[in-house]
Order: sequence, then C-alpha cells, then structure tokens
Amino acid sequence: MTKSVSTLEMTATRSDERAGKYLVFELGREEFGIRVLQVREIMGLQDITVVPQMPAHIKGVINLRGKVIPVICLRSKFGLEAAEYSSRTCIIVVQVRGEAGLLLVGVIVDGVSEVLNIGAGDIEDTPDFGVGASTPYLLGMAKIKGKVKILLDIDRVMATEELKRLPSIAA
Amino acid sequence: MSHSEGALASLHETLDDLAGRAMLVDDEPAAIAPLLAALSQLASHADVAGCTALSETALELSQDASDGDSLRQGLLQLQKVLESESKKAAEAAPVEDAASSGSLGSDPDLLNDFIVEARDHLANIEAQALTLEQDPGNKEAVHSIFRGYHTIKGLAGFLELGAIQTVAHEVETLLDMVRNGQLSVTPAMVDGILAGADYLKTETNRIESMLAGGAPKRPAANDALVKRVHALMASKPVESTAPAAELIPVKATPVEAKTPEIVSAVEPEVLPAAAVHEVSANEPPAREVKKAPESRIVKVDTAKLDFLVDMVGELVIAQSMIRHNGDLSSVTNASLQRNLAQLSRITGEVQKTAMSMRMVPIGQLFQKSVRLVRDLTRKSGKRADVEIFGEDTELDRTIVEDLSDPLVHMIRNSADHGIEMPEDRVKAGKPAAGRITLKAYHQAGHIVIEISDDGRGLVREKILKKAKERGLVQDGAHLSDKEVFNLIFEPGFSTAEKITDISGRGVGMDVVRRQIQKMRGRIDIESQAGKGTTFFLKLPLTLAVIDGLVVGVGAERYILPIFAVREIFRPQPDAVFTVENRNEMLLTRGKLLPIVRLHERFAVEPRSREITEGVVVVAESAGKRFCLFVDELIGKQEIVIKSLGETFKSVPGLAGGAILGDGRVGLILELEGILGDIAHV
Repeated sequence: MTKSVSTLEMTATRSDERAGKYLVFELGREEFGIRVLQVREIMGLQDITVVPQMPAHIKGVINLRGKVIPVICLRSKFGLEAAEYSSRTCIIVVQVRGEAGLLLVGVIVDGVSEVLNIGAGDIEDTPDFGVGASTPYLLGMAKIKGKVKILLDIDRVMATEELKRLPSIAA
Repeated sequence: MSHSEGALASLHETLDDLAGRAMLVDDEPAAIAPLLAALSQLASHADVAGCTALSETALELSQDASDGDSLRQGLLQLQKVLESESKKAAEAAPVEDAASSGSLGSDPDLLNDFIVEARDHLANIEAQALTLEQDPGNKEAVHSIFRGYHTIKGLAGFLELGAIQTVAHEVETLLDMVRNGQLSVTPAMVDGILAGADYLKTETNRIESMLAGGAPKRPAANDALVKRVHALMASKPVESTAPAAELIPVKATPVEAKTPEIVSAVEPEVLPAAAVHEVSANEPPAREVKKAPESRIVKVDTAKLDFLVDMVGELVIAQSMIRHNGDLSSVTNASLQRNLAQLSRITGEVQKTAMSMRMVPIGQLFQKSVRLVRDLTRKSGKRADVEIFGEDTELDRTIVEDLSDPLVHMIRNSADHGIEMPEDRVKAGKPAAGRITLKAYHQAGHIVIEISDDGRGLVREKILKKAKERGLVQDGAHLSDKEVFNLIFEPGFSTAEKITDISGRGVGMDVVRRQIQKMRGRIDIESQAGKGTTFFLKLPLTLAVIDGLVVGVGAERYILPIFAVREIFRPQPDAVFTVENRNEMLLTRGKLLPIVRLHERFAVEPRSREITEGVVVVAESAGKRFCLFVDELIGKQEIVIKSLGETFKSVPGLAGGAILGDGRVGLILELEGILGDIAHV
C-alpha cells in the first residue's frame, strides 16, 4: 500500500498546492484533513467559558496559555447533530487568516487520527453537487487507502460572516 | 564633503531670492545695503560649500556693486558661475546621496537603530534646550546638546543621510562656538536649536515611513534652517557677560516677534544683544539638569515583553493550582510545604518584576508639555513657566501612550484659557509670567496627575450661562461648584469667546474625559476664580491589571471591576418590590434601586431564583446605581484583562476576559452595557 502511495506521489504534479501534510480528524462518520502548517496544537477538551448571545457553534472562550481564544464546534458549524463529548473529543488550535491578521481559533472535533502526507495525485477536485450546494471551503477529496478524506480550507471555514470578527492573536 | 547637493541647492535658492529682490532696488537706493550684506554671507556659504569661484565672485560683487544695475549684472554672472559649479559637482559626484535622493540604500536594520537612537537624542536635546532657555549659563546643557547633535551627525554620515548630517553639523558648529565662549546663548539660539531638532525629527519620521514601505520622499528643504543657524553664528559674540545681578529684562521686546523673521531673513541680521538678558531677576532657579542615570539599558521588543507578562501570569496560575490542589492539603511533609512556599514567593517576585518592566516614567510626557507651553505662549504673547514634580513616577507604557493626547489638550487649555496676558496678570497683582504645574504621584494604588495653572480660573457664572444657552442645565437648577465645573466636560461646551487655532472649538474636554474614562480613570476639577484651576487625573497604575470581584452564577464565573462596587449583601425579603409584577426593585438605605438578574441577562441556569438566597451587588456605572443579583460571591482577585476581540465586542455587557485562579476564563462585566439593557426592557 505504501508503495502505491509513493508512486502516486511521484506522478503528482508539483504545481498542485494542495499536496502536503494534513492532520486527519473525525467528525461523525466523516474524515477531514486540515493543513498541518496551520495547526498550532491539539489539546484535550477543557472547561469552556460560555459567552452569552453567540451563535450556537461558537461555544465560548478558553485559556490558551494566557491568551483568550474562541472555540468553535465544527459539528454544529457543519450542521451535524450534536454528540456527547468523549475522551477522544479534542480541540485543535488552528491559526487562520482573519481580516485583521492571524488569529488562533480552537476547533472541537470528535477525535484526531493521524498526520498524512498527501500527494497531488491522491487529490481530486470536489465533485459538483449541483445547484445550491456550494462548497467554498473544500480544497478537494483525498483518496487514501480506499477511504475519502475531505480536505478543508480552514481559513475559509472560519471566514464566514460571524467569524470574520474573531480576535486577532495580537489582541 | 565639498559640493554637497543640499548646499548647492541652497545657494541656488539664495541667489534667486537675491535676484528677485535686486529688481526692487531702484525705487529705494538704501535697500541695496541688506542685499550686499546678504551677498557677503552668500560668499561665506559658498566657501563652506567648497565653491571657491562663486565665493570670490560674490565677495567682489558685494564690495563693488553700488546700484541696482551693477548688482543685477553681477548676480546674473553669479548664477552662471553657480551653474557651472553645479555641473562640475554633478560630474565629480555621480554617486548620489542615497537617502537624500529619496531611496534608502543603507541597511534597514541600521536605519531602524538610527531612528531609535536619534529619537532618544532628540528628546534629550529638546529637554536640555529648554533647560538652557531657563538658564542660559548652563554649560552642562550645552555640552549635552552638543553631544546629541554630534552623535546624530556621525551616525547620519555613516548612513549617508546627507540632509540630516548637514543640519546636525551646522547646529553642532553653533554649539561648539557656544562651548568655546565665542557666542552666548540667546533665546533665538534656543529656537534655532529646537528648530534643528524639529527638522531632524521630521526627517527621522520620513525615513521611518519609507522603511515601513511608504512612498519614497525627498528630504525636506533645510537651507532656510541652515541659513538661520548661520545667522546665529554671525550674531555678536559675548562682549560682556553681565553678572547675574544685572540680569534684568532690558527691553520689553517680546522675543517671539523675532523668530519668524529669522527664518525668512536672508540678511545676516544681528540679534540685539538685549535678547541675551531675557532672563528676568525673578525667574525661578533653573531646573536641575538631571543627568541620565548611567544604568545599562536593553531595548526589548514590546511583543516579547507582553508575551513574558502573559507567561508569568500563567506561571502564577499554575503555581496556585498546585498549591490549592486538594491532595496536597493532606501531605504533612514539612519540606514540601516549605518548598511550595518558596515557589510561590519566587513566582510573586517574578510577576512583580515582569509587571514593572512595562512601567515607564512619566517624565518624557511631561517634557513634551514643557515644549508645548513654550511654543503656545510665544504664539499668543503670554508668558508662562512650567514646573514639573514627580517625573520619575512610573506607570504602564500603554497608559503613557494613551495619556499623551488628553494631557496635551489640557495643557493647551491651561496655556490658552487659563493663563492671562502679562498685563492682565500684573493688574490682578500676579507675576507677569504664569505658572503651569505638572505633578505626578502615587496614591492608594493609583497614579494621580495634577495639572494646575495660576490663571484666571473657572468662572461659575460664565459656565452656567453657557450651559443654559446650550440647554445643558435647566433654569433654576441648583448646582454645586463641582457640578458646574464638570459641565465643561459636556460635548460641545466651550467658554472661549473666540476660537483660536489652539483651543476653543469645544471638542476638547469631553474627548479628554472620555479618553480618561476609557483608561478607567477619573478627572476632577478644582478652581477658584482669579486664582487658577487644577485638574486631577486619577488613573490606574496599569491598564492590564484590575482588582476584580469574582461572582458566580450557576457554573459560570463573572468578574466585576471592584471600583464600581458599592455594597454587597443578602437582601431581606421585605426590601424587594416589584413593578407590574415584572421589574424588581430593592429598597436599600432609603433608595429604590432596580435589580438586574444576571442569570436572566445572560441566560445561565442559576442555583436559585430566590433573591433572598443569592447575593446582591450594588454597582455604580455612569452615575447610576443598580443591584446585580448573582448566586454567590467567590472572592476578590487581581486579574489581568484580556481582550475578547471583535466577535464578542458586540455582546453588550462584556468588557473582556480574564484567566481565573483555576486557569479558566472568567468574563468581565461591563456594567454600563448591562444597565443599558434595562432601559430597553
């Protein structure tokens, strides 16, 4: 198997920017990948301070070594049903490009599985789901070992209206 | 450095100017005299710039020309000579001065260092120049200014910043002449020194903006300034340094009248020697020249510093979490307990040190004010001295930055509205020169800044009249003096009869108050008509740390700034009243106060909805009191305020977040926002 991956990698067009290392995490029955370069840290679930009057997917704020950062629940962001937090549930702290500069945001996921080196040959463009299904934050689909990992452009996931105004790191 | 580009350009300009003025000579034969004098000066400038041919021709012309015609012809010839000299210069020096051509050839790091260093020197130069103005005989000040300019010159030469180098060099030469006793310090000279510093400041700003990626700009013209400095050099050397006893104002000629002339004057106007004796006998003893302590200083990026403070905050939290761990209380190991105590002592020390690193003395801010008052009073023909106390008082860097604008505004007010014209002061039995006093000191965990003047003071009737005109006060309202004075902080209020470019547009004091309040400070006024006004600014030592009252509602913890808390108690059932069975009120100390239930406000599940089972915090915000109903009091804690950022700013009632003792984030309440919402209900 590993062999096929490496041969695929060799045939990959070097110009494909999507190739590279991805952190794979689970959300329901789906697997997603975000660029490792944007991941700052992975931490276990901790007490989240609820901020009142916020959209449901903004869970609140946590203390990341002295910084107060917002935490997003990716399940409710993607419209999945809420799930009980388990021991595998964790917060991935990602660095995203906001309007006012780089920000740190915590993302709650069901669990992280591995870091994969995904070559351009493994990546397929997102299929067209037809009218009304806009998928601007999907980079593409990676087929690894017969399974599909959905590659997320986390910048764009966060770049929806209510998140544009998240605190910048400098704050 | 022969044929420097700047020097040639300056010669060009002078010549053009002379040619223009020579056209007018025919009508007024006597007018030729200053032109000839200017010519001879031009000759010496040309000599300095290395244009010997030009210098000689100019000198000849200044001796030979007797009427307009011959002068004009001579000038034409001079222009030709200069033309050819410039050409030669251009050929001889094909490599253009990198910075003056508008591009930055040098290493950006070096330039950045230069900017930082030059600013330090310029701040010192400014301070010392003002000292010199008070005490013209102060040798140490002269040396210090000289050293400053000398260093800047050296650095600028190294970095090929021609324009800066030229100016620094000229001023340095001037100061050298003072050092050698060839010249004595005059107010005009101090002006010149300050003008030099101002020029260098603009230039460093220009370089900085270019470094930051701004559009390349050419250096500002400096020949007028150079001329001015030359004029100062040509002024009369000291013939008799009058003994101190004779230092009486010889003439009432205000110095300021001369200043603008010197800037534009081309003729080598010799300053009246009288100017030397500006120092009046009743001048206060010169401020002590404070020598900068020779302590070693490391410059650190503020981002690093903030990070360190964050980390130390975390360290303290981690430490306290260990200490309060339940398992630990059962441990009886004495050495472990001792070590833990040692650990908390050390973390405390580290925290204190980290915090102190953010502190800077207020002196620099005050120093800026001295200059400001000086410039303002000159403009308006008033006289005022500035006295400074407590310039070593330290406060948070961010506060110093935020304080700058309000302080400048208030000092402007003092100089513009407060201090009267000298003749009015004398009539009122006060010394002709006004006095503005700046004081800074610590008081009960706060820093207090006093700005007082001995001017005309606030006139109650005038303010009231104005306030009634503006509809700020109802007719027949009874207001205390304090309330009346506070009216000047209302938006759109100004009692100045005429609008000057200094103040009086009425946009000032309300902005000042808002800014001070934003820093969680307070502003008070004391004033006596005819005696003067004092403003008291009371500010927290640091913006980052406040004393907070931690309260609990359900599982959540919230923090109230303790300065807003008036009372805390568990209410009696018979003290609670309802309006329309909905809005609740509490009767306390004979007053009815609205009750805000925090759990309802933030939609949190409380432990109890019974008022009598919870705690009521009487808080005051924007002059209004209300009761905040919470589950329990958790304690008082010194907290570091963290921004929640833009997202959560839209939440009314939240001022920020703070890391609590257990590492969780607590939300800081913004009482105004919470109260503001009652109005909508």
